[in-house]
Amino acid sequence: MEMSSKTRAEEPSTDPPPVIPELPEDIIVDILARAPRCYYPTLSLVSKYIKSLVSSTEIYSRQSSLGCTEHCLYVVLYDIDNSVNRCYILRRKANGNSRLVLVPSLSSLPCGKRFVVLGSRIYVVGRMKNYCTLIAKSNVLTIDCRSHTVQHLPGVRIPYTANENLADIIDGRIYIVGYFDLKKVMVRLVVMAGKIYMRNSKNSFVYEPGEGIWKMDEKLSLEMWKDACVVDEVLYYYNWVKRSIRTYDPNERCWGVLKGMEEFLQERSGWLEIEMVSYGGRLGLVFLEGEEKSRKIWCAEVSLERRQGGEIWGKVEWCDHVLTGNFSIMKPLDVMV
Amino acid sequence: MSKKNIVLKSSNGIIFEVEEAVALQSETIPYMIEDDCANDTIPLANVTGDILALVIEYCKKHVVVADGDGGGSSSSSQEDLKNWDAQFMNDLDQSKIFNLLLAADFLNIKTLFDLTCQFVADTMIKGKSVEEVRRTLNIEKDYTSEEEAKARQENEWAFK
Repeated sequence: MEMSSKTRAEEPSTDPPPVIPELPEDIIVDILARAPRCYYPTLSLVSKYIKSLVSSTEIYSRQSSLGCTEHCLYVVLYDIDNSVNRCYILRRKANGNSRLVLVPSLSSLPCGKRFVVLGSRIYVVGRMKNYCTLIAKSNVLTIDCRSHTVQHLPGVRIPYTANENLADIIDGRIYIVGYFDLKKVMVRLVVMAGKIYMRNSKNSFVYEPGEGIWKMDEKLSLEMWKDACVVDEVLYYYNWVKRSIRTYDPNERCWGVLKGMEEFLQERSGWLEIEMVSYGGRLGLVFLEGEEKSRKIWCAEVSLERRQGGEIWGKVEWCDHVLTGNFSIMKPLDVMV
Repeated sequence: MSKKNIVLKSSNGIIFEVEEAVALQSETIPYMIEDDCANDTIPLANVTGDILALVIEYCKKHVVVADGDGGGSSSSSQEDLKNWDAQFMNDLDQSKIFNLLLAADFLNIKTLFDLTCQFVADTMIKGKSVEEVRRTLNIEKDYTSEEEAKARQENEWAFK
């Protein structure tokens, strides 16, 4: 291949040297967009020019148009020493191991767990103690995960309620639930099959958008589910007493247990916190174990299989120690970028 | 069932006569016919003969399958085609690959462009070290050692 190569050290950096000889930038982006994203750190060391391409927003839109967007796991962790929420990304290294990496521009986020995802954006709703400057304009923040920038959503103010707002998404709309009655504290919220399910300290309720009323769901009320997530319209939560992952199918209206996980869960009986997330059709687990100050955060990915008779079986695809520090897990989020 | 032929002329003057259906996999060629760029032959000023031969080989292979729905299992022919594509790319040296990529872009043959881009990503980026990527893609290192150290630090997690 011909290549005009000469030393360019003295030339201004505004004029990038030709890379991948003779190819226009458009085509280079087309090639890079087809490489798995775990190679981007390596690529960014190849040259300044390549680095500018793999960190551009253009490469993400190219990947979107190619249909090669990837599920990316973001985890909001509460940094106990500094009393602040920080956002981390799960990065798969080229050797297959995983690690949580801090996003420097998202290292001071509002407290709480009120984070929801819509496509490539994370929304933070409601009270924002740490965001006094933004609060005057809006109390909904949007985080663009392609550029990792935070903006307030202009003109949107969610009324304050006595307790934290809970939020989730149905058909591209964010539903926000506030509550005033302290005696009936609503503690959990999930969305299944277009309906909102909530639980207080005693019962579970279902809300269908459009109907405008909460109805009690007796079957769902049978278990005190918390930190739940929904994958393929089935609710999953970790039951600390039974030390198992429980499932609830709203169509069959029945509770069950996620099979095939016994050994995995037994080995990790020392964990202190666990949060789950639907991660590209799989179950993403983020859990924490170990001593105060040096807690270990682990991530695992569980593939799910529904077998005849309705049993759901899980298989741990991988499980890695991804970070150490003095943290509490707030919320894992599956973002499409 | 008369088959119309189209005559293509490479930048170095080599003439190829192909069936219309083969040539029309390029989305550029119909415009050239409409524009009446040439009376009989369509000159392709950006594509040399050896590369045009490869493009035509690819298009011939793919046109057969495109209208071959008369019989046989289409899934197996899809599989065969995939294997053929892989073999086709594997037989090319790097200079040919990049020139083929440019030709596929110029002639606007989407499947060939996708195939070539993916092949470059798979064979020259995936699983390669920084040095290997520089070498295979002929990219000059333009980092000073401080800049490289800084960039490495930003991506430290990936190299531990």
